[in-house]
Amino acid sequence: MRRSLSRTHVAGLALAFVAGGCRPSTNRAPEAPPPARRVVSLAPSITELLFALGAGAQLVGRTTYCAYPPAALAVPGVGDGLNPNVEAIAARTPDLVVLYRSPHTETAARQLGSLGIATLVVHHDRLEDIATTARQLGQATGHADAGSAIARQIDSALAAPPRPGPHARVAHVVWDNPPIVIGGGSYLDQLTHLAGAGNVFHDIATPSATVSIETIAARDPDWIAVLRETADPSPPDYAQRPEWRVVRAVREGRFLFLPAELFGQPSARAPEAVAYLRRVLDRFPLPPPAPQ
Amino acid sequence: MRWLALVAAVLAAFIAAIVLGPAHLPPSELLRSPIVWDLRLPRALLAVLVGGSLGVAGASLQSLVRNPLADPFLLGLSGGAGLGAVLAIALHLGGPWALPLAAFLGALVALGLVFRLGLVGGAELDPRILLLGGVAVGAFTGAITTAIVSLAEASELRNAYLWLWGGLSNASWATVRLIALYVPIPLFLLLTAARPLDLLVLGDESARYLGVEVGGTKRRVYLAASLLTAAAVSVSGVIGFVGLIVPHLGRGLLGTRHRALLPASFLIGGTLLALADTLARVAVAPREVPVGIVTALLGVPLFVLLLRRWSAA
Amino acid sequence: MIIDLRDIWYRYAGAPAEALRGVSIGIAGGELVALLGPNGSGKTTLVRIALGLYAPRSGEAAILGRAARSWSRRELARVVAVVAQREDNLFPQRVRETVRLGRYPHLGPWTREQEQDRQTVRRALERCDVSGLADRWLWTLSGGEYQRVRIARALAQDPRLLVLDEPTASLDLRHEMELFQLVRRLVDHEGLGVLLVTHDVNLASRFADRVVLLSDGAQVAAGPPGEVLRRETAERVFGWPVAISTFEDRPQLTPLRQDR
Repeated sequence: MRRSLSRTHVAGLALAFVAGGCRPSTNRAPEAPPPARRVVSLAPSITELLFALGAGAQLVGRTTYCAYPPAALAVPGVGDGLNPNVEAIAARTPDLVVLYRSPHTETAARQLGSLGIATLVVHHDRLEDIATTARQLGQATGHADAGSAIARQIDSALAAPPRPGPHARVAHVVWDNPPIVIGGGSYLDQLTHLAGAGNVFHDIATPSATVSIETIAARDPDWIAVLRETADPSPPDYAQRPEWRVVRAVREGRFLFLPAELFGQPSARAPEAVAYLRRVLDRFPLPPPAPQ
Repeated sequence: MRWLALVAAVLAAFIAAIVLGPAHLPPSELLRSPIVWDLRLPRALLAVLVGGSLGVAGASLQSLVRNPLADPFLLGLSGGAGLGAVLAIALHLGGPWALPLAAFLGALVALGLVFRLGLVGGAELDPRILLLGGVAVGAFTGAITTAIVSLAEASELRNAYLWLWGGLSNASWATVRLIALYVPIPLFLLLTAARPLDLLVLGDESARYLGVEVGGTKRRVYLAASLLTAAAVSVSGVIGFVGLIVPHLGRGLLGTRHRALLPASFLIGGTLLALADTLARVAVAPREVPVGIVTALLGVPLFVLLLRRWSAA
Repeated sequence: MIIDLRDIWYRYAGAPAEALRGVSIGIAGGELVALLGPNGSGKTTLVRIALGLYAPRSGEAAILGRAARSWSRRELARVVAVVAQREDNLFPQRVRETVRLGRYPHLGPWTREQEQDRQTVRRALERCDVSGLADRWLWTLSGGEYQRVRIARALAQDPRLLVLDEPTASLDLRHEMELFQLVRRLVDHEGLGVLLVTHDVNLASRFADRVVLLSDGAQVAAGPPGEVLRRETAERVFGWPVAISTFEDRPQLTPLRQDR
């Protein structure tokens, strides 16, 4: 018996064919978006993290401040990270832009979105945020395993039991005029704590704060921690000034110089930073208690 | 007598500045503590000197430019000082005096520019041109400063702004000695101009007919008041409202004659700044509020009170 | 002769015409001289040259025998007191304080006020009939009272000559008469010399001893009011037809209507 394909049949078949393709198929798992091949990073900590994940080759744009690791310098700069230059970023034709959260960057993220560029806004001020960001960036750049590994490292470092006392008391002094110190809200405070020391300004909730020299003197830290770009061991300029010498640690020259590239921003190398700080603290004994 | 009250007020503010602070010192410790001798004492002295200088500068300038809302920082000096400071940091000039010296030189350059602009209207420093010139120079230097800070790579430059906001945190005996030696000269110049200033407030023409060499007096007053302000800004950044409010408080208490008003402005300014600095150190201890904020918070309600008295009159 | 100006010529920088062309005027103690003329006739310029503010292009300007330009402002303020047209007092002041300012030409930067200074201030307040207002704030005074206070301040300078520039410009009839009478009293009873610049031709005619009439920088006439204020002269200078009448032996100008 000959079957003739009537026009209706053809139409019906075509419809079934198309509809079959549009219907959500419950059998297949949803596809993950393909890993980003051209990434622009808008913060030095993000750049560092990308290289740590092994995604350095996918980086096509960085801020002018991204200088670590040295390989990052070969990547073209796109300007400032906190006040992004959307045009310069778009000129790199990225498929993912990673921004550090701030009011300016939220606006830039929207502008990039309207240009059809995918963005990821991360928020990492504390060490636990690194773990989260490492996982996110790992997924986004096709290095999910590396991301999980870094996250696990950070998590275990954070979960490590505290060292037994006595604890060295440290003040991180960022600037001298006016005096600015690191408070309890900063990752530096966390690193200090993990290294078995204490931040004398831990009670200040913000990441940094202006205080008077008098307060530093009254809290009498054992060490003044200073971030240094170079290996220069000389005390900071303000150490010569009589008003700063009221602080015992300044008078006795008890300065801890911490490499800026390791301590300058929250990074995947946090465990390494903690180990460094521990070694330095162990090398020098605590000063004797102040005379009454 | 009112003078006794003013002197008592300064002494009280001074003592409070020494006794109070974020570090809790038991009274028996006060006389021996290095915190008191090396930190609080020079800081309190500097507060009195700087506050007093700003008060006197403000009083003279309000009469000179014939504007009760004039403030020493309207003359563009703070812009010049900020630019000088930022350049010192950007060029990595070392030494504890680099910053104040650079700020002072910057202020002097701004002073010279505004002075030169003021002379455009004739040898007699038209007050309107002075004010407009000050605003222009201030805006110009401010723009250059912002450009340097935003384009430069060093994070230190961002902290330079904090210095500009004003504070006595780097007070030291060396600073106090320097200011104490420097300040009497412009103060003396202004005091000799006290009688001519009384006449200048009647207007240039009337002042001239009452015997004032108007051009010379104006130049002298402008330079002396600017030199006072430049020194203040170099050691303590921009502390607003002191130069604006204090002269009005002085006039309310002691009248408009400058022979009384200028010394009164010194005492009131010193009291105000010493009190404000103590509050700045103590109010949110262990943190410190920039003293310019405290002077504004103290000064604005006082100013509103004065305005209401004026408009009621 | 306190002020003696002879054959003064002056031109402002960049101006097309001379502001003063050969004007002479002299004022001695005990006489009231009125300086009259339409706007732009050179009255203000003449006063400024008389007070040493400008140097004449030619001619001599002398005060008490010395060149006007050679006087320092302080020296001059002890001899000549000026009540300018406008004054702009910036901060609230009391009457006594503002009159006290008149003593400043006699006080050095460090000398304190003496009893003699306070006496002079008191007398000045009395002579101007404003003693009762001494503790009032300036802004509470009427126009007439304020003008008398300014004259009191001028008197506190202890001058030999008083220069009044349009002192009654915005005063009402009563205060204008009071002021002219006060000035006349000062001339008659105290021997002050007065140079009065005014638009009020008729009052000047009645009160002044001599009148100087300027027009376009030139001196048209000078002398007693009866000689100067004639009909043809007035019409030429003021550019308007007038009728001259006499009141109390002094000429009075009445401008005629042109619209009928």
